[in-house]
Amino acid sequence: MKLLRETYLVLRKDLVLQLRRRDSLLTMFFFGTLLLFVFHLSFDLVPDRVSEMAPGLLWLAFLFTGTLGLAQLFGAERENQCLDALLLSPLDRGALFLAKACLNFILMLLVELVIIPLFWILFNLQTWNLLPQVFLIALLGTLGFCVLGTVMSALTLRARARELLLPLVLFPLMIPIILATIQCLGAVLRGGELGDALPWLRLLIGFDVIFLTLGVLVFDWVIEIE
Amino acid sequence: MHLTVKKLSKAYGFFWALKDLNLDLVPGELVALLGPNGAGKTTLLKLIAGLTPASLGKIELDRMPLSRASGSSRAQIGLLAPAAHLYEDLTVRENLEFFTSLYGRKNDAGNISSALASVDLGDRADEFVSTLSSGMKCRLSIAKWDLLEPGLLLLDEPYGVLDGSGVDLLEEFLKAHCRKGNLVILASHHVSRVLKISSRAIILHQGRMTFNAPRQQPWPEFDQAFREFLPHGEA
Repeated sequence: MKLLRETYLVLRKDLVLQLRRRDSLLTMFFFGTLLLFVFHLSFDLVPDRVSEMAPGLLWLAFLFTGTLGLAQLFGAERENQCLDALLLSPLDRGALFLAKACLNFILMLLVELVIIPLFWILFNLQTWNLLPQVFLIALLGTLGFCVLGTVMSALTLRARARELLLPLVLFPLMIPIILATIQCLGAVLRGGELGDALPWLRLLIGFDVIFLTLGVLVFDWVIEIE
Repeated sequence: MHLTVKKLSKAYGFFWALKDLNLDLVPGELVALLGPNGAGKTTLLKLIAGLTPASLGKIELDRMPLSRASGSSRAQIGLLAPAAHLYEDLTVRENLEFFTSLYGRKNDAGNISSALASVDLGDRADEFVSTLSSGMKCRLSIAKWDLLEPGLLLLDEPYGVLDGSGVDLLEEFLKAHCRKGNLVILASHHVSRVLKISSRAIILHQGRMTFNAPRQQPWPEFDQAFREFLPHGEA
């Protein structure tokens, strides 16, 4: 109960800061949109090939925009040594992890709510009926990305070139989640059946659960590492 | 709060910022932590606050080892860093509400308003911290720790940003905090001012404690120990 209460307190504070600054959200939104336009101009895809390429292209857009968000995740705490203020307080480190992961998850979902329909429009996809399943997979993939990304963002917090280091550390560890999400999206876009990619879906859910639990448990060590 | 430090050492690479420090401070003391730049004052405060791990030695609060993982231990320690540890894009009131909620302290509007009024910030409650001057941020930090009531309060050079009335306000707050049985450790270069309100002085020099004694009047031992690092022109 204490964990949830503290998570709520930090998340509410972060959302208020985000609403006032809007820097992370706007950067992520414009970068994601820009990427889609670049993809649209670079690949002259016939409708049949789009469904093959769409999962990879969509995830590239999510991955890059999400990484931008992760780089700013502890931005408020880096100013005025506010991270020290949080570490000095009785705040449970697990709550700090959950709040930061939730914040990035919310920001990414907001961006995806725009990016996914825009992708369908730009690439002239007719399969609008598949969007609920696409959103479900994107939700699971985004959760895994945010959970692992928050741990890695905290781990590289005190690194000198953290913006460069973060993707280098994060992307190799993200391979299982990237593969699982692309396979699930591919199965949906090809046949409209999520059941065809059930093993990948299980891997995705398993990854989310394991790293969410690990994140809460190890964040105390991760955030205080010097 | 009773603070015991045993053989505390901190190394940054091959450089020992603190070496073999032993302390035993009792509740109600106001300790002046003095020393030249690089003496290890801030390092000692950070170690006690649990913001950096010790290389060797241990710290005990009320005879219990200081555990960085324990929330209840951390709730007992405050670090007043002037103009820091505040969110710039939250209002004065929101900052206090956030931190009092985190510490599980009473944070009703009346409590916060009276704490702000006591540091002459009553009329700035709904302004963003980014609009405050450094001195006002320091006053806000005083109000913050007044509300959080830590058993051990650490201060790192708070005088630099405060004006005359701000200094009086800080000293009144510290005296009142000690009267409640809390321990205060105040690191500063404003020696004469700190000595006026402190009950004990500690001098650090090159990471080692060269002096530690309760205040006396007159105090020839302190004068002698202090003279070793006294800057030219300071009496």
